[in-house]
Amino acid sequence: MPDEVDYRWIADAPDAIAMVDEAGIVHGWNAGAVEMFGYADDEAIGAELGQLIAVDEGADEQRRFIAETLAERHATFEALRRRKDGTLIYVTISGKLASGTPADGVRVLFSEKDVTELKVRRDSKLLEARFGELLDSMPDGIVFVNPTGHIVVANTQAEQLFGYRPGELRARPVDDLLPERFRRAHKGHRGHYFSAPRARAMGAGLELFGLRKDGTEFPVEISLSPLKTEETPIVMSAIRDVSERKRFEKALQEKNLELELASRAKDRFLASMSHELRTPLNAVIGFTGTLLMKLPGELNDDQVHQLEIVRNNARHLLALINDLLNLAKIEAGKIDLNPERFDCRGVVSEIAASLRPQAVAKGLEFGLSLPDQPVPFETDRRALSQIIINLAGNAIKFTQTGGVRLTLNVDESTQPKRLVFAVRDSGPGIPEEELATLFEPFVQGQAARTSAAEGTGLGLHLSRKLAGLLGGELACQSTFGAGATFTVVLPEMN
Amino acid sequence: MPARILIAEDHPPSLELMRYLLGAHGYATRSATNGREAIDLARQERPDLVICDLQMPDVDGFAVVRELKQDRDLRSVPLLAVTAFSMLGDREDVLRAGFDGYFSKPIEPENFVAAIEQFLPAELLSRPNRGG
Repeated sequence: MPDEVDYRWIADAPDAIAMVDEAGIVHGWNAGAVEMFGYADDEAIGAELGQLIAVDEGADEQRRFIAETLAERHATFEALRRRKDGTLIYVTISGKLASGTPADGVRVLFSEKDVTELKVRRDSKLLEARFGELLDSMPDGIVFVNPTGHIVVANTQAEQLFGYRPGELRARPVDDLLPERFRRAHKGHRGHYFSAPRARAMGAGLELFGLRKDGTEFPVEISLSPLKTEETPIVMSAIRDVSERKRFEKALQEKNLELELASRAKDRFLASMSHELRTPLNAVIGFTGTLLMKLPGELNDDQVHQLEIVRNNARHLLALINDLLNLAKIEAGKIDLNPERFDCRGVVSEIAASLRPQAVAKGLEFGLSLPDQPVPFETDRRALSQIIINLAGNAIKFTQTGGVRLTLNVDESTQPKRLVFAVRDSGPGIPEEELATLFEPFVQGQAARTSAAEGTGLGLHLSRKLAGLLGGELACQSTFGAGATFTVVLPEMN
Repeated sequence: MPARILIAEDHPPSLELMRYLLGAHGYATRSATNGREAIDLARQERPDLVICDLQMPDVDGFAVVRELKQDRDLRSVPLLAVTAFSMLGDREDVLRAGFDGYFSKPIEPENFVAAIEQFLPAELLSRPNRGG
């Protein structure tokens, strides 16, 4: 309730005037106060002044003002005040004990004057003198902002970044540098920031935009650091124009999407090609097979011989298709490896058992040197099997006399341990000049070219690629005329 | 009595090949050239085994497996995929879709019938004692 004493003259005073009791409860609130703080009479009267406009949460500061005024009868202060809309202003306050004490106790009058602009200019002068030269030497745009949201200092880079003339940013609300849509949120953030200031690195947080004087926007990255000065708490904000980088990122994203689509198209193409090439081969290999099985009827020797040629070539074509598609998948990075722990000795002996008949049929010795115990080892079973089949199959294919020996060892001296698999043959060997290109696609050694046996020209290339995928290596040692040894060394995967 | 086998295949030479091989081994076959036909024939004829291509016009092999494996009367009939999709991972996808077996094209004519017979009970084999 307003007091019955006549204070109407106060309404016309140029400053904000509040009358409070000892507890800080507002009993009078003039038009200047309404205008300065944004609270209407009926909002202010009955509220505690400290709760209403003090910046510190407990309103201790306001209690101190009242106590000092009561003790001194007259006192002056400088303070930061919070308006109803959340913005902060600097005020100077004159406190005076009111005459004519009402029945329920004393009254204190506070007359408050908005000195925000004055203070900004004063701080600006001090801080520019102290930091100006330093700030101009920094690569980023830098602005110092005080708790009322005013720019106290801006360096030349900041002025150029936002399109302002030298000195033009000084004392402007920092919100002028933000697009309209960010201002309200920014006000709130600023309030929080000054109550718990901490350094925030460049790029942390949201996507931000700067607003140039001409109204155009540009993407920015901002870092914040609190700066304690004697006069005022300041936040130093470094601002970087990241338009270039954003453009680059966007271009990169688009490019990635394009590549992704191209890669998917390639996958589909490979899958269809595999399907389309195999479908007619099914009929060729299938009906050659039914003829050779003599299901439709007996065949003479020439017919059998010629049909076998058809079948062998059809199978060769199938092997080529398989190798090419596998290679395409490897090149496209589309081979999914499934590292698992399994007994490699078992894998080698299984493959050896399946190849042995071919070797025996050619009159070759087929030897195996395996460890006595199973060899648990972690790698991709499929890829390892493929390599072993390719190498051992080649050795049998290109060796006419003598033998082929498969050797498996584990080298425990390294970390991780390594699997060493070797195929030694007594075939024609490889001339030195061919060793260098042996692993290139469609490069076949002399033996392969002159031998009746046909390879696809992709087996070694594919095997080396697979060994590489497994993190290992495939190498060949050979003396022309004295056989060859292919060795694959694989580190354990995990 | 030898098994009655339904073959769904849209590539005529492949269809003829499988019919010929199975017929030569004494099995009766019916053919369908797309998934819709295969499903209808399966319901009509109650075959003992179904061989199904995957890529067929309109209703493909994956739709066939979905329908037949939901059909109370047909879900126990062995359903085998024979497909030219034989890239890495295709076998796993096919078995996960509900097929009982997977054969890649080109098929091995020498072993094809024996491999199919793995999915038949002894009394439906054309030569019950074959292969011991």
